[in-house]
This record gives sequence, C-alpha cells and structure tokens, in this order.
Amino acid sequence: MERQIINKKKRVFSVEPNKIPPSEVFTRKYTSLLVPALKKLNMNKNSSQVNQLTVKHEVDMALALSAQEFAWSRFLLQKLSSSNNPTTTTSSSSNGIRIQERSGKEGGHEDGEREEKLRELQKLLPGGEEMNVEEMLGEIGNYIKCLELQTIALKSIVQDTT
Amino acid sequence: MLEGLVSPENLSLSSMDMNVLERLKWLQQQQQQVVSRTSDNSPELLQILQFHGSNNDELLQSTFSHFQMLGSGFGPNPNMGFGPSHEAMDGCISRTSSFQMDPVDTMGVMLKNSEENRTISSKNKRKSEVKRREEEKTEKTIKVEAETESNMKGKSSMSNTEASSDTSKETSKGASEIHKLDYIHVRSRRGQATDRHSLAERARREKISKKMKYLQDIVPGCKKVTGQAGMLDEIINYVQSLQTQIEFLSMKLAFLNPELELSVEDLYVKQLQDYFTNLPVVIASKPSIMVDVPLFPLDQQGSLDLSVINLSQTTSTEAPSASWETQSRSLYNTSSLGFHY
Repeated sequence: MERQIINKKKRVFSVEPNKIPPSEVFTRKYTSLLVPALKKLNMNKNSSQVNQLTVKHEVDMALALSAQEFAWSRFLLQKLSSSNNPTTTTSSSSNGIRIQERSGKEGGHEDGEREEKLRELQKLLPGGEEMNVEEMLGEIGNYIKCLELQTIALKSIVQDTT
Repeated sequence: MLEGLVSPENLSLSSMDMNVLERLKWLQQQQQQVVSRTSDNSPELLQILQFHGSNNDELLQSTFSHFQMLGSGFGPNPNMGFGPSHEAMDGCISRTSSFQMDPVDTMGVMLKNSEENRTISSKNKRKSEVKRREEEKTEKTIKVEAETESNMKGKSSMSNTEASSDTSKETSKGASEIHKLDYIHVRSRRGQATDRHSLAERARREKISKKMKYLQDIVPGCKKVTGQAGMLDEIINYVQSLQTQIEFLSMKLAFLNPELELSVEDLYVKQLQDYFTNLPVVIASKPSIMVDVPLFPLDQQGSLDLSVINLSQTTSTEAPSASWETQSRSLYNTSSLGFHY
C-alpha cells in the first residue's frame, strides 16, 4: 500500500495538454511509476528475494495507474489490489494459448465462430467479460496501444541496466 | 374515403409537447388506420402503402403499374394525414406540404414518408443534434426524390416500368448512402425493413464494424486478412504476443533488478529527446513537467526555455538506444490515430 501512495504522488502536469500526444504522457507516467517502484523493491527486500511475481505485480500496477482514463485499467487495479498473490491477466496467456483451428466449423456457423473469438478476446482484456461487445472492442484498441507503449518502456529500462 | 384521416385526433396531436415516441406511435397508428380502411377498397393502394416497408420486387413493379391510376385519388391525403406531425418536426416536413399533388410526386411523397419513418425511429434512440441532422437529411431526401421523379418522368409508358424500377432503385441506393454523423444516423436502403428492432440491429452492427476497422488499422498484418473471424484471430494473437512479450521483459527485469542503477533523470532526458526530435516544429511548446523531479531550470511560469533544450541535448552522455527511438518514433507516427474514446 505504501508503494501505491508513493506511486500516486507522482503527478504529471501538462502545461499545454493538447499538444502532447497521449502516448508520450503514458510512457512518462509509466516509467515514472515503475522505476521508483523497482528501486524501492530493491531497497526493501534482500536482493535474493526479488522474485518475478512481485516485479510482475509492479509492472501491471504501473500499467494500470498510468492509463487511468480507460475502463480496463480500473478492472486491472481491482484485480491487483484484491488479490495478494498477483494473479494478473497475463498469467493466463503464459500458457501460450493459440487459437485452435476449427476444422469442422468452417462452412457453417460462422457467427458462432465469431462469437467464440469475441469471447476469447474478452478474456484477454482485463474486465472484458463484464463489458458488452461494442465497448470491449473500443477498449481493446486502447489496451493494445498501452501494451505496445509498455513494451517499449520496459525494453528501454532493461536495456539501460545491461 | 380517405378523408377520415383528417380527424380531430390529428389536430390535437400537433402540440409541440408531444415527444418523439408518442409521435412515432401516432404515426404508426395513422398508417395502420389507412391500411385498415383501405384494405377492402383497393388492394393496390394497400400494396403501395406497404411498399415502403417491403422487400418485394414484384410488388414494386406491380405498384408502379397501378401507380398512375391511383395516384390522383391518393394524393392529397397522406399529406394531410401526416400534416400535424410534420409541423412539429423541422425542415424536411415543410417540403412535403408544398408538393404539387401529381401522381408523379406522390411517389416522392411516399419515399419521403418512408424515409421519415426510418429517421423517426432512429431519432427515438438519440435525442441530440436533431436539427443539424434534419437539415443534412433534407438535402439527401430532395436528391432522392429528384432522381426518382426524373426517372419516372423519363419513362412514360407502362412497358418501361421494369426498367424504371430497376434504375430508380439503383439511384435511390446510390443517393441514400449512409450518412454518418458521429455515431447517430442510420439510413436504410430501399427495400429494407424499417421496424425499430432491425434498425437498432443495423446501427449496432455498423458501430461494431466501425470499431473493427479501427482495430484493423492498429494491429499490424490485419489488413491482409479478410473477414471478421480472421481479423479477430489476428487481433487475439497480437494481444497475446504483446502480453507474453511484457511478461518476458518483466522476467528479465526481475533477473536484472539488483543491478538497477539507472537514474530516472536519464530516462526522462531520453524521452524528452525523443519528444523533441519527433516533433521539431513544436520545439517551442512546453512539455509536461514532473513536479517531484526537478529536471531543468524552470523560469517563473514553469516553462522550458529554448536554451535549456539545447543544453539537454548536449549534456546527455549515454547514446540513446536506437531501438527505443525508432520504435517510439514509429509508434508516435501511428499514434496520430489517437486514443479512440
């Protein structure tokens, strides 16, 4: 909880908010949240104890906190704060589930297939199952953008340390 | 026989207090009354009335053939029947009342009424921007009518009815392109169902397809795949790959964490550099400021001077990692699509 308070203290004041692309704002927020959190992690625990889960937790927390204007971030925050052992959304994807080829259903029930895929997509998005289809499709766009920016931020952080 | 349309009911409903729903109900009632009253008298008339809601091509042709016979008798009445509701609505309605009652024009009136019905039912869902929509709609409806009228005038003989029906259908389809204002207006093409459920369905489907198009632009490699299922597949795979990538990077970070020596300021410098190199035109603009981390000397207004910008570019010691810059640059370019709210 302390970590969250520290994270929340970092605020971004845009002098001219219209001129700054939202991607810029997001990456700033993200790095500003994540890096101090990681440092704190370092300081608090012994270096041997920093396990992957807590880092993952921090990563997701930073994502959720830097994209608070979107619905999925609220769901993500809920999930993170409610669960002690961070069962985050990405853990489900670590199985590498790929879409299985449906050999039998090619010709017929195309709508059913589409429904299946939409449901699959809903599972990927945090909180996607509680939205309806239209809303979910819109949120997926934002989520994808934020994920992309997150990967860039993480890559830069990792590269700086190596 | 059709004078019964002008009932006291019509006049009483002309108050502006009547909301759109009631108006629609009233309108539908009127239509049903007309249908019921004329059902025994003239089956052709019934067909004409049901024409605008039907998908039937043969019906279209038969109604065209009967059209000129019944046009004159039918003419004045739909005008009066729908009169009061027209006063309550704007612009386009007045056109109806000003039409000359030729048999040729009656067709235009029919079309207009059917279009109005559709727009009425679409209005029920949205309460905003009524006037603007109607003004733009009037242009379209006039266009539609002009084209159908010219078509009908061009073909005088009965033998051309089939050809005329085809061409008028095509022109009306071409003219009544779905004109989207924000997310509101759903215009149905000729011969499609006009009841509220199918309209709602169609509006919903169009919203969804619009969002799918936006997703297509975002997800790389999505444009080559046709069909919604394939696209959804691509999107799902992309999201999953992004998530696994993030997980991998966080694993790496966890592994490297003890050696985390980087300073926040360096990252910010890099980001600022990227920001300025990406948008050279905006170099005088003031970027966002981290309050807790004093980066650059700020003047009283809290803005960056140009001199400071030059300073930042010369003082950064580490070479900016190429991958960061190129990737973020490409993303910034694509992010001009913005966050789609």
